[in-house]
Amino acid sequence: MELFFALTIGLLTAVGTYLMLRLRSFPVILGLTFLSYAVNLFLFTAGRLKTAAAPIVGTTEAPSDPLPQALVLTAIVISFGMTAVMVMMALGSYLELGHDRTDAKTGTPEDQA
Amino acid sequence: MLNHWIIAPVLLPAVLAALSLFAGRNAAGRVLSLLGTFGLLAIAIHLLCTASGAEPQVYRLGDWPAPFGITLVLDRLSALMLLLTASLASLVLIQAIATGWDQRGQRFHALWLFQLMGLNGAFLTGDAFNLFVFFEVLLIASYGLMTHGGTGPRIRAGLQYIAINLVGSTLFLFALATIYAVTGTLNMADLAVKLPQLPQGDHALMRVAAILLMLVFAIKGALVPLHFWLPGTYAAAAGVVAALFAVMTKVGAYAALRFGTMVFPEGLSVTEGLIGPLLLPAGLITLGIGAIGILGARGLPQIAASATLMSMGTVFTAMSGFTPATTAATLYYVIHSTFAGAALFLIADLARARGAEVLASKAPLPGRLAALFMAAAIASAGLPPLSGFPAKLMVLQSQPSTLVWAVILLGTFLAILGLSRAGTALFWKPEGKAAKLPLREAFAPAALIAALIGLTILAGPITAWLAETAQSLHNPTPYIEAHDLPGGAQ
Amino acid sequence: MSPALIAVLPFLGALVAAGLGRFGRNATTLGAMLATGLALVGLISHAPAILAGQGISASFNWLPAAGLTASFRIDGLALLFAGLILGIGLLILLYARFYLNPQENFPRFIASLMAFQGAMIGIVLSDNILLLLIFWELTSLTSFLLIGWWSNLAAGRQGARMALAVTGGGGLALIAGMLILGQIAGSYELSQILTQGALIQSSPLYPVALVLILLGAFTKSAQFPFHFWLPHAMAAPTPVSAYLHSATMVKAGIYLMARLWPALAGTPEWTTIVATAGLITMFLGAVIALFKDDLKAILAYSTVSHLGLITFLLGLGTKAAATAALLHILVHASFKAALFMLAGIVDHATHTRDIRALGGLRHLMPLTFGLAAVTALSMAGIPPLNGFVSKEAMLENAATGGLAMALIATLAALFSVAYSLRLLAGTFLGPKPHDSHAHDPGPGLWLAPALLTALVIASGLMPMLVFGPLVDAAASATTQEAIHSHLALWHGLQTPALWMSLAALGGGYALYAATPRLRRIWDSTPRPEAKPIFEAIINAIAKAAQRLTEALHNGRLSRSLFAAVATILALGLYAFTTGTHAPGLRESLPLQAAPIIGWLILSAAALATVRNHHNRVLALLLTGIVGIMISAAFAWASAPDLALTQITVEVATILLMLLALNFLPAETPRDSRPLRRARDAILATAAGLGTGILSYALMLRDPAFPRISDFHWAQSKPGAGGTNAVNTIIVDFRGYDTYGEIIVLGVAALVIFALAASVLSSKTAITRLRGLKLAKNAGDPHPLMLVVASRFLMPLIILVGVFIFLRGHNLPGGGFVAGLTVSIAILLVYIASGFVWAEKRLRFAHQSMIGAGVLIATATGLVAWAMGWPFLTSGYRYLELWPLDKIELTTAALFDLGVFLCVFGAVMLALSTLSRLAQHTADREKPKA
Repeated sequence: MELFFALTIGLLTAVGTYLMLRLRSFPVILGLTFLSYAVNLFLFTAGRLKTAAAPIVGTTEAPSDPLPQALVLTAIVISFGMTAVMVMMALGSYLELGHDRTDAKTGTPEDQA
Repeated sequence: MLNHWIIAPVLLPAVLAALSLFAGRNAAGRVLSLLGTFGLLAIAIHLLCTASGAEPQVYRLGDWPAPFGITLVLDRLSALMLLLTASLASLVLIQAIATGWDQRGQRFHALWLFQLMGLNGAFLTGDAFNLFVFFEVLLIASYGLMTHGGTGPRIRAGLQYIAINLVGSTLFLFALATIYAVTGTLNMADLAVKLPQLPQGDHALMRVAAILLMLVFAIKGALVPLHFWLPGTYAAAAGVVAALFAVMTKVGAYAALRFGTMVFPEGLSVTEGLIGPLLLPAGLITLGIGAIGILGARGLPQIAASATLMSMGTVFTAMSGFTPATTAATLYYVIHSTFAGAALFLIADLARARGAEVLASKAPLPGRLAALFMAAAIASAGLPPLSGFPAKLMVLQSQPSTLVWAVILLGTFLAILGLSRAGTALFWKPEGKAAKLPLREAFAPAALIAALIGLTILAGPITAWLAETAQSLHNPTPYIEAHDLPGGAQ
Repeated sequence: MSPALIAVLPFLGALVAAGLGRFGRNATTLGAMLATGLALVGLISHAPAILAGQGISASFNWLPAAGLTASFRIDGLALLFAGLILGIGLLILLYARFYLNPQENFPRFIASLMAFQGAMIGIVLSDNILLLLIFWELTSLTSFLLIGWWSNLAAGRQGARMALAVTGGGGLALIAGMLILGQIAGSYELSQILTQGALIQSSPLYPVALVLILLGAFTKSAQFPFHFWLPHAMAAPTPVSAYLHSATMVKAGIYLMARLWPALAGTPEWTTIVATAGLITMFLGAVIALFKDDLKAILAYSTVSHLGLITFLLGLGTKAAATAALLHILVHASFKAALFMLAGIVDHATHTRDIRALGGLRHLMPLTFGLAAVTALSMAGIPPLNGFVSKEAMLENAATGGLAMALIATLAALFSVAYSLRLLAGTFLGPKPHDSHAHDPGPGLWLAPALLTALVIASGLMPMLVFGPLVDAAASATTQEAIHSHLALWHGLQTPALWMSLAALGGGYALYAATPRLRRIWDSTPRPEAKPIFEAIINAIAKAAQRLTEALHNGRLSRSLFAAVATILALGLYAFTTGTHAPGLRESLPLQAAPIIGWLILSAAALATVRNHHNRVLALLLTGIVGIMISAAFAWASAPDLALTQITVEVATILLMLLALNFLPAETPRDSRPLRRARDAILATAAGLGTGILSYALMLRDPAFPRISDFHWAQSKPGAGGTNAVNTIIVDFRGYDTYGEIIVLGVAALVIFALAASVLSSKTAITRLRGLKLAKNAGDPHPLMLVVASRFLMPLIILVGVFIFLRGHNLPGGGFVAGLTVSIAILLVYIASGFVWAEKRLRFAHQSMIGAGVLIATATGLVAWAMGWPFLTSGYRYLELWPLDKIELTTAALFDLGVFLCVFGAVMLALSTLSRLAQHTADREKPKA
């Protein structure tokens, strides 16, 4: 199963990277969301995979590693906050400028292709 | 003896910021912000005195032993960074209030205090993951400050700033996950103990983790080619915010120095040839691009942003030697460039507020501002009689390489050209009489210049102190031993 | 008086002058003159000892780590220069008092002049070469202010910038040169370095150090090919020109060459470079001077020429030549300062300095004419004036260097004669001008040049008496050997110098007579003009810098991110391939059907997101599916807490984004070219491969050392009082992380709030909001079913939240998930019933809630202080001591309450912010029920 997790992490990273490189704020936000999925999963797998072994005392003797789980929790929460701020910033930028391009200089030919 | 003062730089701003959320308007915020910032200054002075006279002290959060719980560590370097932050923040806060910048948007003071909390937390922590958390605290607050009182372009600059930093945060997590997966620990001192014993077969993966971590710090420190976010962001931010951000880039430098001397020191086989040899060219190119940027800028804020790039290039160039001499030079330069950069941003802001958005502007500017600019420009270019000059001497002496000398001196030359062109264009006007610069608005920039003068006059004792600090960084055994790691420090 | 005090006095004088500004020009001048005079007295008080061959030192530690000490020393050479700087400084102050217009900012002028004087004194008194560097660059900076004094004139600005660029730039080379010199010699103290000549000259680094140092000296002293800045520095007010270009600024480079003479001179490299440059400069300056029309320009090129003369003498490397050089320094300063002042007087009286417009002034200004005649003839080298004495000495030395050298030197002297005559004749001779009211000035202006003129005569007639001891002392200090020179007007007929001199005089007169004809040739020959070339080069560099900067930092986020990802990948690959890697030995988990199906769904949804990212709502829903599948993966891999958190966060994120999307157009336009997309796809694939391979490599190996989480697991129940190890880590072992994390969330909400406030204060944004119709974008916004369901579900979900909160410490759950769950309940109501309806009925003091959350969490942590424990020590352990501790309420639960409040407050604040935006949209007037 490790292979499938690795494939997932790779795919999420690739999708995230691709979307992040788009020129409008919405796909960039989506891309960063995908990247945070990828890294959360990556961080989680740093504790190695284990099934049916939730780290709850009394339910198992050989639990899955609880520390990466706790770290991922923190990471999820933080990226939630970051995403929310970024959404608001995209919104503010759109409302102020009337478009949602992320680049500071607008109207250059390359962007309009 | 438990020293609760160690955590005070984190808790004090957090509590005051939280309190300020109950207050409706800005007046209470001002009081709390002043209280917090100057309180931090006092605490930082106290901690610096403590750290100077003693071995590093460890504060175990939750009373859990290291490396299992999180530790805060007070040593000379962390105390220095705390004091640098607090003294810069005190002056910049005065400017923010004097110019009314704090009223141009909502919740300036809460964000300000949280920003300081994040910075202090990052300087104090002895845990790699906790460093990530406090990076996020300081970042999220900086997003707010960056867009403070913002209109369209500033908000879009904020969007770019947040995007690149989210990439940085993601990278940070990749690095931490790899570190944990390979070593099973997150405590920095513990890592320093364990890495020399790392089995050969794990080296490649650990190297990846190390380089990813250094890249995170390079993003923070705006090292080429990870610097693209800085010029636009810093130039677009309010002057007072950009001035405070002079210490934000230094967080990257701090972390790189901490890890580069303790966790991945010279001579560690795992990270052989990975840190210094890569930092040097990146630092030099950053320096060069910053210098070119100074000459090529259209406005004073852009000049200040380029000067920041140049100073970060110098910091990393100096640091890359990783010897006690280079580290001492780096630290002196860090102090100098923080104050000098902040002064330049404050001055740029005062000019901008008087209509001088670009160098070609015809708006007449007050003579006091011209004098302040000249001093800040001298400092930024690293010319005598201000502290940039002794800093440059020390950097050159500690890095005796033709390439380093050539880049630094040519960079200085470009900076002189750029700053003198900017100064003559902005302040030497054919006509027009400007209203006097009010003393209250001139106070903070003047005080920053005064700090630079002090740094110059007291260069002897300060560098002696820094040399000792550098020694302690390159001999981290006391730092590690203070953790009482199980099995004892090797 | 300590040498250090002498060096400081001018700076004090600057402060005094600035402070006395309000008391008028006389007070300001007197203050400055007092400081200068005191310093001069202090200097002279040392003169007997120094003339006897001693040196006076004073030294203070400054920056020992860098070898920088504040050490000062006065010897013969320093005495000569310091005497010039202070002596002429006094005269200049007097002259400036009467020269400057009353409208000028006089105190600032005098203060700048004094600061400059201090920098010059500092150069010549420094006994540490790093200290010397400081003063060196200071002269560049202060002269920048002085040259650009008339900043309203373009010439002033350009001249100042050019001087700064050339001399400041040369100073940078000098920094490098001095550092190398210090490293060769093992000390930065001059008194040490000067004894190490042999060592220095045998070092392989000697040529490098020499070239760098000479770059500094040549730029400062305007030696070819750096001579071009000097004439343009004449844009300065005349007192400045008189000071900078006779006795000070330009002599700094000369001083440096004389100072380092024992360490550097005498080698073939030295002679070749220095003597050649000097000779060329001497000749070139003299030639150009002949064809200039501006009095100050003639003097400026003459200065260039005379500096070349001195450099040439120093470059010869013999003691006799060095002695002659020192003599000429004194001589040149005396007549040149006077001439500049006289040019200023003429300018004042006639409002022009153009020699073609002048003439006949001897009738109107006899006194000025007299003074000018003496000094100009001295410049021409006519006996019995002092210019003759030093020119003889120069020619004598040139004669030893072969025919070519002698010839060029004679030619240069010949041209000096010609331009001196032209200067004098063009200004003062000829018919009396008709309509001129020019007249001699008051003593304030003529006194200073008159004193200098007296010196010119006296030292010409009695050179041994007037200059002899000083020149001997200076020459002894320069060469480090006792020198006894024989200065005289008459050396006898046998000396070749006499004949060369005579040739120069005769030829010079002939040349002067032929000037009009030569002028036509000169004017018709194309010559490179230094200033436009320099300006063009600098402008080109600046333009290139601008283009590069703007091309590089073009504000593209995509470029910034692309560069970052590419760098990360490249360096990651580099790091990996340069280390040893052993594949891991862990066994893979066996394949299972259900998770593979989940994987397929996730992959499909992820790929579909890429395909459909232009359609926002669809892309968001697909993203939600990915998030939910990740949550399932967590659940499958024994992470129930994560699964729960992931799903609540996912729901909250998607809901918030859906709300926010209301404000944006539904479609993202396609705006990247296929090529760019392909490039990005390649990079993205590489990134995916990178993280995928890395994670695979990590999952299949065990950590090299025991994991710290073994401790957490073992101590979860006994140490932290909870069975859920993930939760005990979050609220206890690493509660400090959580403390930071809730603050991040709280601050995020504050940022959102502040941002919205900024946006709402902008007119454009409000106008744009007004134009939006939320209902249109989101379809039917408030379907009845959803409205009813949400209002019915809300209390239920809140109950679930409370439950999740309470059980967290032992089972999956906790304050964070609880906070989010409750928030989702309210979010649903917002979505179902609309912002306006909900905002009216669900009022919370969101910010206070965030504040309270932080305060509660902090207070919980602080309770431990009272017990002598560190921050965030969980109550579980010490509450056991309490007899009533039967209920398992740990302080960690209280901490969790803080988390709950913070999370809830944050989400609510974000929500209400969005609803405030919504209230400005087009459908704000008719809230739907």
